[in-house]
Amino acid sequence: MRSRVGENQKHARFQALCQSLRPDLLRFALWLARDRSLAEDVVQEALLRAWKAEDALQDEKAAKPWLLTIIRREYARTFERKRLPTVDLAELIASEEPALAGGEDPNLAELRLAIYQLPEEYREPLVLQVLMGFTTAEIGQQLGLTTAAVLTRLFRARRQLRALCGEDVSQDPDDDGL
Amino acid sequence: MMMDCKQYRAALLADPAAGSADLRAHGTSCPDCTHFTQRVEAFEARLARAVRLPLPAAPEPSLEAQVLQLPTSAASETRPRGPSGAARAAGAAGAAVGRAPRWYAIAASLVVAIGAAGLLWLAVPRASLAGDVVTHMAAEPDAWRATTTAVSPAALEAVTQDAHMRLSSSAAGLVSYASSCAFHGHQVPHLVVQDRSGPVTVMVLVHETARSADNFDAQGYRGEILPVPGHGAIAVLTRNQNLDAAALDRIALQLREAIRWTD
Repeated sequence: MRSRVGENQKHARFQALCQSLRPDLLRFALWLARDRSLAEDVVQEALLRAWKAEDALQDEKAAKPWLLTIIRREYARTFERKRLPTVDLAELIASEEPALAGGEDPNLAELRLAIYQLPEEYREPLVLQVLMGFTTAEIGQQLGLTTAAVLTRLFRARRQLRALCGEDVSQDPDDDGL
Repeated sequence: MMMDCKQYRAALLADPAAGSADLRAHGTSCPDCTHFTQRVEAFEARLARAVRLPLPAAPEPSLEAQVLQLPTSAASETRPRGPSGAARAAGAAGAAVGRAPRWYAIAASLVVAIGAAGLLWLAVPRASLAGDVVTHMAAEPDAWRATTTAVSPAALEAVTQDAHMRLSSSAAGLVSYASSCAFHGHQVPHLVVQDRSGPVTVMVLVHETARSADNFDAQGYRGEILPVPGHGAIAVLTRNQNLDAAALDRIALQLREAIRWTD
């Protein structure tokens, strides 16, 4: 009886953990997939996989990177299962317009659009850093990159973003300063 | 070896929150780079807001609800999909239907587990920076008075100088309360600013680490933990439940910009 209660408590804790992280996981998947339906499917499937592999998570503090790894793998699997059609970026942006809306701040929508346009190799580490709060070392672990490579990608991501948003980039250095 | 402007700017653009001693030393001693830093920090604040995409206001489906929904292909087909999403989701839906029997087994066991354990989880305390800030607020009810009386400049300076900061009153607004409070083993400034939406509390948490903005809503307080590159974080709280997340975010950013660091 006692072990069943303990097991139930564990399941409930795990569920609550997933629920608390789900908003940011969904945001991450949205930035990755740039498609709300696909992102929701990926997160749903990933959480189910996580639930089945719950025992693999020994430390709740490691839940975020663990779940992100599952989401990234699940996203990659969608490409393995089915060759996805090439999508025109303008069409993609038009279909996701509500997600990019900036409310009272039009600059926010412009910036989100610019993030959408970043190549995935720059967009993903940037979102991991700014949204998920990962250090460069943690991003490197997640993406299988050296810290130096992560720093270069983050630098290029911001430089491109600033240029796309009309910021003054005349004083921005080249990435050989890293 | 001293960091030069080129190295400083490249490092700042790669990781504005890094805040190494070298980085901070150059950023505060080089006038050209000080201006560059301000522009990058302003852009970073916008970026932090931009990545937090708005999500549907409807309650998130619980994990068990997701499990139960998965084999129901009709339910997934009723969701609105964009032209690209339809093609992509078709692959995922097809894969899900093929695995349906396993999902039913999972769903059945999960329903049993949830029924017994749902309430147990509610009793489990979860420590967090936001939770500790809220607990601190609850212990200082006097700080929440709406007033037009400002604290004296001397009292404000006495509280803020230990944190190596000043608060620009022209940028922050009327400061009606200033106290140096014990928090996580350090004395930290606890300030209340009279915003047009009501009193807003700011705790300057130079000893804490926050790498991304974090909103919270607990015990009648709504708030945001906002990272301050090189200087920890600030916590901004309100008891005005009508203030939406975007408005709270604006206030938090305004207050962060009102802080002048003196170290």
